[in-house]
Amino acid sequence: MADGPKLSHTSAMILQAVATGHIYGYTVMEVTGLPSGTVYPALRRLERDQLIRSQWERRALADAALRPPRKYYKLTRAGEAALEVTRKRYPLLTKLTPLEEVPDA
Amino acid sequence: MRNQKLQGALLRAASLLAPGDQRAGWLEEWRSELWYIPRRRATRFCLGAFRDALWLRRNSLSAAKHTGIHLESPLSCLAFLALLAVASTLAAVLLPAPKGMLPSSHLRARDLPLFCVVTLLYTGLLLPVMRLAMGRTAAGLRPVRWPHKLRRAVFLALKIALVQPMMFCGFAAVGLAGTVPVAPIAVCAFWMLTLRWVLIDQQRRCPVCLRLLTNPVRIGTPSRTFLEWYGAESMCARGHGLLQVPEVSTSSAGGVQWLRLDNSWSSFFVHPTGARQ
Repeated sequence: MADGPKLSHTSAMILQAVATGHIYGYTVMEVTGLPSGTVYPALRRLERDQLIRSQWERRALADAALRPPRKYYKLTRAGEAALEVTRKRYPLLTKLTPLEEVPDA
Repeated sequence: MRNQKLQGALLRAASLLAPGDQRAGWLEEWRSELWYIPRRRATRFCLGAFRDALWLRRNSLSAAKHTGIHLESPLSCLAFLALLAVASTLAAVLLPAPKGMLPSSHLRARDLPLFCVVTLLYTGLLLPVMRLAMGRTAAGLRPVRWPHKLRRAVFLALKIALVQPMMFCGFAAVGLAGTVPVAPIAVCAFWMLTLRWVLIDQQRRCPVCLRLLTNPVRIGTPSRTFLEWYGAESMCARGHGLLQVPEVSTSSAGGVQWLRLDNSWSSFFVHPTGARQ
């Protein structure tokens, strides 16, 4: 138990996706292939457990791009530690999601 | 255009499941995400909103706090249940009786005691099952004096007695939907939900004053389960104590625990020491 929390495979995929730069709900769905009804509650659960944190994009930035603001997700230190442990448990996880360029929030 | 209206309606409908104080933010988030979804996948995307809203309601401590606001005191809870019991009895008498169960087409007043015995029997069978299914043991009430324990038990018994008319009203509703094959299952589910509410309400009350506990806070994180517990803690507004509900049972935190506060804490609460029992 001392080696951190045990995440389900779905949570691990989502955590890995966020870690590799897929920082919006929709892109997490795209890269993991999971439906919205799984991804959004999982993101909330990970945030509740303090493994990720969310932040709304600044309104001015979104307005300038003529689109609604987005909610960004980022791993916390606890999330990074949990992901490290989880990668050992699910070795193929690292091959799942390529790194995506992260825009400024 | 028609699809966009449908997607908007789906999100609005799903938002009704989200807790009221978080509804606007939740809806804004989903509308914002919907803007980025390709049109052909948008409807399917919106259907996921129901699951997310349900998750939010289930895991929102503020939702639990607001639901029972009018039933805070034990008397108001019993009065509310008594009102429902009267309305249910009237409805059960007015609705047609289930076919083949009674000689008359409607439930008569003299049949009511028999129905009450039947529903009480079912309650006696369902209650232990519900307690097991809820996965939480009863509160550790060792610090609570026996008169308070007795009052708590009487309160539970009264609540169970007052929900019986609602339960046989559900049974009478089968008479209306007699041809629908899932009607008996729906009635059984209704009974289970009613009893579940009775047990959850009982668990959320202070064992001393029987008022609903307030100010729920989440404590701990799942990653620290080995040495600490994690879950929710609620407080009696009159300062009688704290109720700790672990998210999962562990060897160190087996079940729900009541932590009694002594008189030294009284200055933190509205009521003077003399008002505490």
